[in-house]
Amino acid sequence: MTIKSITGCIGCEECVKSCPCDVIRMEDGKAVITYAADCQICHLCRMYCPVDAIEMSPEKSIPVIVPWG
Amino acid sequence: MTTTSETSGPTRRAFMAFSGASAGLAAIGMEAWAQNAVEIDPDAITNTDHVTDVLVIGGGMAGLFAAVKAHDAGAATMIVSKGRLGSSGLTPFGKGFFVFDPATEPGSIDDFVDTVSRSALGTNNPVYTRQLAEHSMDRAVELRDWGYFNQTLANRPFMRPIDDRDIPLLERVTITHLIKEDGRIAGAAGFRLDAEETVTIRAKSVILCTGAGGFKPNGFPLGDLTHDGTVMAYRIGAKVTGKEWNDGHMTRADHPAATFDTWGDMFERVPSTNGVEVHHDLGVDLNYRAYVLGNPVAGGPGAPQETAEVAGGPYVPQEFQRTSDAPADGDGPPPGAGEGGAPGGPPPGFAPSANVGGASAGMAIHKSEGLVPYDDRCASNIPGLYAAGDALGSHMAGGIYTQVGSSLAGSAVQGAIAGEAAAEYASGVEAPMIPDTRLAEITDEILAPLRRDAGYGPAWVTQTLQGIMIPNFVLYIKKAAMMNAALAYIEELRDHHAPMLRAANMHELRLAWETRNMILSAEMKLRASLFRTESRCSHYRLDYPEVDDVNWRAWINIHRADDGTMELTKQPFGTWPDQG
Repeated sequence: MTIKSITGCIGCEECVKSCPCDVIRMEDGKAVITYAADCQICHLCRMYCPVDAIEMSPEKSIPVIVPWG
Repeated sequence: MTTTSETSGPTRRAFMAFSGASAGLAAIGMEAWAQNAVEIDPDAITNTDHVTDVLVIGGGMAGLFAAVKAHDAGAATMIVSKGRLGSSGLTPFGKGFFVFDPATEPGSIDDFVDTVSRSALGTNNPVYTRQLAEHSMDRAVELRDWGYFNQTLANRPFMRPIDDRDIPLLERVTITHLIKEDGRIAGAAGFRLDAEETVTIRAKSVILCTGAGGFKPNGFPLGDLTHDGTVMAYRIGAKVTGKEWNDGHMTRADHPAATFDTWGDMFERVPSTNGVEVHHDLGVDLNYRAYVLGNPVAGGPGAPQETAEVAGGPYVPQEFQRTSDAPADGDGPPPGAGEGGAPGGPPPGFAPSANVGGASAGMAIHKSEGLVPYDDRCASNIPGLYAAGDALGSHMAGGIYTQVGSSLAGSAVQGAIAGEAAAEYASGVEAPMIPDTRLAEITDEILAPLRRDAGYGPAWVTQTLQGIMIPNFVLYIKKAAMMNAALAYIEELRDHHAPMLRAANMHELRLAWETRNMILSAEMKLRASLFRTESRCSHYRLDYPEVDDVNWRAWINIHRADDGTMELTKQPFGTWPDQG
């Protein structure tokens, strides 16, 4: 599932800023995967992360999408 | 001159204080920055108003140079990006930077321009092709000074000249509207992702460095490129060109949606320069093969080729045909190396083994799909509105991928030229007057999807758009019947679904506006493709498979007619548009 996990976040916000698709947001000072369905698996978040906190997966799955979503 | 900013209260109930006093750049809600609000109250949204001479929209290679050169020419300059400088759009995808070095190139610039024109079958604008060669080295020298060629991630070297000059930079701000007053550009408006806030910017001149786009298929890495600039400009009367061309990148059979699996070599590479290397690539020939034989297509440029002969398909000039998996001279990157693939391997975007076609559609050919240039300085038909890079339909490289590394270099070159031109224009005009009522109207329109209780989610509308435009090769192997069928669906999305898009928060609001832009872009692409009754470069019609030099040595321009419909006109190759 796209960006998979964030472990050991130091709250620097680099991943939030570098994600082109606004997938990651901040919550209580830590980065949180918020909109995984919009992840393009480009790894820019992982590459900008200074502490290698982000794990990626090449698998893309998106939730069921309904017209009123 | 300085750039000024001011925040005002909730937009709907108290839209005021748009004029007058200046303040520093607003630092709003920093402790809650980028928090996610699942549901927000649109009536509590505030507005920040900015004033500048030159507004640059877009934070890629073109936007960087546009801002630096506009500032250095004396204009108060501001950049706004919906992502982060150097990290969004296509800039991270390219690491090869074309430089024409007269000391080492065996041929002249004239030779280079002629070669591009032969590959592009006349579709290139030779003035912009020449400009690329003439200015590329100067831009590479500047990038080298900023440290661009020493690292893999562009943000830090891009920030150096911006920080040195104190150029105001608004990141994670989605611009949805260009504003025109009294027949000239007057500014832009949009909203922040990280705060419940709309943004209005009054500017004497605006430079679109917004890139181009595709249709955001799950399988292709163009998640944030949705033709925003082109569509915003079209809505205020700008002419648009090049919508019939298509980049024909395939994707990998394994993990087709994983951008990094396909492009990671580029992302992790340190940028480098390359010299003249002209191809006729990334058109639709491999998609034609996939259409005829089925997927996957083994090989791709630079990989072992299939042996099965396929009759017909797009015309490739003899001089530029691929004959083997290695270039004829045995060195250098393989044919079609795009932004500079690793020597000996497939170019970025192509797996060494199985590729699949029909996995994306509607992706622009670099520099050939965007605003119609009215001169050699990136001006549009709207006074004060400029475009550079992939947002300008300069046809610098033509309707197919020709010079390796020209997309990054072309964005740098055109950004710099547009920046200087915009600063010069801004120095000769008064600040535009935008009535507060007009700004209130625009911010209301921006926020409308947040106020809808019923309607359609942008993700669903986008999925529907993908279903119409992508799997059936509609824009690769073009046929009138299929395109007319697709157009009927697109018109339905445009008329019925787009006006009912709804959003619960700022993330979804961005998706809603991107979806609207993609729908209009899809309509343009279908209409231009139907209009061009021939095949040439990356435009391939199964029902008109031949190049038609009698009728079609012309670009296609699109503008909004008085009755709101799209009007298409021809502009002969090698000419500028009528100034009227």
